[in-house]
Amino acid sequence: MIQDVIIGIAGAGGDGVISAGESLITAAALEGYHGMMTKSFGSQIRGGEASCRVRLSTHPVLNPNGPLDVAVALNWEDFRRFGAELPVESSTMVVYESRTGVAADQLPLEGVRPGVVFSVPIAEMAQQNAGTEKAKNIVIIGLLAGWFGIGRESMLAGIRKKFARKGAEVVEGNARAFQAGLDFAEAHPLKEDRKLGAPHNRSAKMLTDGNDICAAAAIFAGCTFFGGYPITPSTEIMQFLDREIWKYGGAVLQAEDEIAGVGAVVGASFAGKKAMTATSGPGMSLKTEMLGLASIAELPLVCINVQRGGPSTGIPTKAEQSDLFQAAFSAHGDCLRPVLAPVSVGDTFGITVEAFNLAEQYQTPVIVLSDQEIAQRKETVEPIDTSRFGLVERRRPTDAELVNYTRFKVTESGISPISQPGVPGGNYLASGIEHNEAGGPTANGETHARMNEKRFRKFNSLKNRRDLFAVEGEPDAPIGLVSWGSVSGVAKEALRLAQAEGLHVKLLVPKLLYPVVETVYQDFFASVRRGLFIEQSFQGQLYRLVRMYADVPARVRPLAKSGSNPIQPTEVLERLREMVASLQATHQHAEAIEG
Amino acid sequence: MTTLTPVSSPKFQAGTFKSDLKPIWCPGCGDFGVLTALTRALAAVGRPPHEIAFISGIGCSSRIPGYTTAYGFNTVHGRALPIAQGIKVANPALLVIAAGGDGDGFSIGGGHVAHVIRRNIDLTYLVMDNHIYGLTKGQLSPTSHRGRKTVTSNFGSLEDPVNPLLYVMGYGASFVAQGSPVDMAGLTKVIEEGIRFPGFAFINIQSPCVTYGEEEQQLKAQKAKMQSLGAMGHDPSDLAKATELARDYGTKLYTGVLYRNPNPPPTYGEMAAERHHALESQAVPRHDILKRFLPTH
Ligand SMILES: Cc1ncc(C[n+]2csc(CCOP(=O)(O)OP(=O)(O)O)c2C)c(N)n1
Ligand code: SF4
Ligand SMILES: [Mg+2]
Repeated sequence: MIQDVIIGIAGAGGDGVISAGESLITAAALEGYHGMMTKSFGSQIRGGEASCRVRLSTHPVLNPNGPLDVAVALNWEDFRRFGAELPVESSTMVVYESRTGVAADQLPLEGVRPGVVFSVPIAEMAQQNAGTEKAKNIVIIGLLAGWFGIGRESMLAGIRKKFARKGAEVVEGNARAFQAGLDFAEAHPLKEDRKLGAPHNRSAKMLTDGNDICAAAAIFAGCTFFGGYPITPSTEIMQFLDREIWKYGGAVLQAEDEIAGVGAVVGASFAGKKAMTATSGPGMSLKTEMLGLASIAELPLVCINVQRGGPSTGIPTKAEQSDLFQAAFSAHGDCLRPVLAPVSVGDTFGITVEAFNLAEQYQTPVIVLSDQEIAQRKETVEPIDTSRFGLVERRRPTDAELVNYTRFKVTESGISPISQPGVPGGNYLASGIEHNEAGGPTANGETHARMNEKRFRKFNSLKNRRDLFAVEGEPDAPIGLVSWGSVSGVAKEALRLAQAEGLHVKLLVPKLLYPVVETVYQDFFASVRRGLFIEQSFQGQLYRLVRMYADVPARVRPLAKSGSNPIQPTEVLERLREMVASLQATHQHAEAIEG
Repeated sequence: MTTLTPVSSPKFQAGTFKSDLKPIWCPGCGDFGVLTALTRALAAVGRPPHEIAFISGIGCSSRIPGYTTAYGFNTVHGRALPIAQGIKVANPALLVIAAGGDGDGFSIGGGHVAHVIRRNIDLTYLVMDNHIYGLTKGQLSPTSHRGRKTVTSNFGSLEDPVNPLLYVMGYGASFVAQGSPVDMAGLTKVIEEGIRFPGFAFINIQSPCVTYGEEEQQLKAQKAKMQSLGAMGHDPSDLAKATELARDYGTKLYTGVLYRNPNPPPTYGEMAAERHHALESQAVPRHDILKRFLPTH
């Protein structure tokens, strides 16, 4: 019995590799398992080689990474192209197409000799049972269902549904191909039982990705306007909203560029609607002037940046956490715009709703830093009870306030009642030019200082939002990890591994990245003498940003790397062990001096 | 959505639309005349100030929304159109007007003009074309003529100007007009017609900069060469003729309606309303939006 399995499949375009992965994770979700699936493609727009990784578990999955437990190769050239995404170790069980003609003891895997290897006539089994080689992926899921005991019934039901439109013959052919896979697995049992244990709860899981759930969250929050320009890896947000938002009386405007996209969002917000834009690095660079405008005009809006490798075009299809500085300091002038980051697909729902709430409450643009990994990986999500999420609406003027209405009134909280066109008596001038309380343009330095003070002061209560920070592990641990976004899953898994070894470690995951809430870091670091900021960027941007505002112990250092999935939980664990050893050494040294 | 008063009989005076803010414009600036003509046109149109959203970019001319009692938005340089479109799409019941200078509209913001036209969003765009950058004190503008000497073209411009009239006609604008404060009645009338036109309406206004402008753009020179399209007997439904006349921009000065599509295409707002009506029954309650992610067999 096993608790967790990581499967990697690679083949040529048209081999149905992605569809096999989707069948697996869908069946698993239906049966209550947890899982994550990531996809990777060659550089052609269509039809090139494809691979997927599917991690299934009886418990919540924290990150999709790690060496494969099972590697499925439909041909070796394509498999080898995905070297970094599909790492094979000696413990990996390898299943490959016999037709490749490769001998089981001569696999083209440099320096690795997997112990368990099956050469399977996958294409032949597909042809014989379904009458077409197209059913290769069905044979594969049959094999995996057989060996790992995942979702036999669900997968069969899935096959029947998928092919129903093609007629009974096709359905039966594919069902036979699936059965052939199962039979092969049964005829070639594994020495060690590798059946996946029962899921820790059997309730079916939702299955989605970060972009779709972000868009769904926007609908839930009451967003009725989206303006934007397509850019990988954020476009699915716009695509989802275009399918849905019109049903709610809203609109998606595919603008001529990102400036116009966010400009239209600024306009929709001025008109009183909840509005959002979504983009990635290059588009974010274009949007910054408008973010400044929304800040000084105090207009709510949500801006999602699905981060990818940068600078410039960088790597559009790979995740990175290198836009934090840009998010915090986007646009010129003294200004504060809240920056949030979800840690997983499921978390993207709450964070997106939160972004709308903060935008409305503080009359400000809010930036959400998602990343390619969260945005595009399929993940099981425990069903979310949406009634747990309250929705905030902007503070509109009362009838009394509409008499001699003062749009930018300097109030105690710094938040002023905001009117909108159509409301009699609420007429005002919004502007990017500095203005007085009534909205009149001014070049008066004192007024500017006063308005700046108001625009910063209104965020004071945001710093009380401890619920936007997650702390795990022993509260007094001398070793502290800090991590954010998708990479925090790696840190969390490392924490679990360290705890299992009895190491005293804790982890802080901020979801509110900016403003930096000094007190949260002070409290967290109070017991900490060694530690790491774990980030997927070259510079370690959170580490540097936090140090601008809070004291970070000298021996808390960044573990920051760019690349694709560059940091593994095992590497973090190794560093934790070193830190424990170094702490003990200092301890002994201190004792020796005292003694 | 707020129900707004229909376009109706004149119950407002031009003064209803003038705010208490004192314009910062130089004495004699053409933009004063534009402001007066606009407030008169708004009085004639009859929508109350709170139902009007008046959006501008940055420039001397872009100060204009603040001098009216409408909901105003003085945005950033070149971006009045995208913001105005967001407002109109978000609340189609509003009367939306965008305004700005020649630099704002045809240089930094020039890329947006084509797109508002092809979307046919029902708003009126007033460009105060003074052939110069006024606010930044006299640099070359996209409508400055070749050879024009300014502080950034000391030896004379080497570039041909943009032709705003031909530009918008090229993208298929359904309502194209030109006006000048020389003829206040005519200017008021084209603005009113533009506002009443169902769809995107473009009005180029020869609004002289008295401080950095050339002699030939001043009111006196304009008066001498101005030709009223109405008096010329121009038929605004004649696209070919309108296009021909538009080519004379920069040499001749025509005022009045150059082109008015006799069969205006549906506006973006009309099509969106139809779509909303057709799709509204398909909306699941917002709190059930996540249910679609539960896999089924
Ligand atoms: C992004 C940006 N670039 C430059 C400027 C500086 N700027 C302000 S107005 C303007 C040009 C104004 O000319 P025009 O649009 O013709 O308006 P006018 O003042 O002539 O009415 C410039 C260059 C700015 N505000 N923003
Ligand atoms: S500089 Fe020119 S455009 Fe600007 S206010 Fe003065 S006259 Fe008008
Ligand atoms: Mg100008």
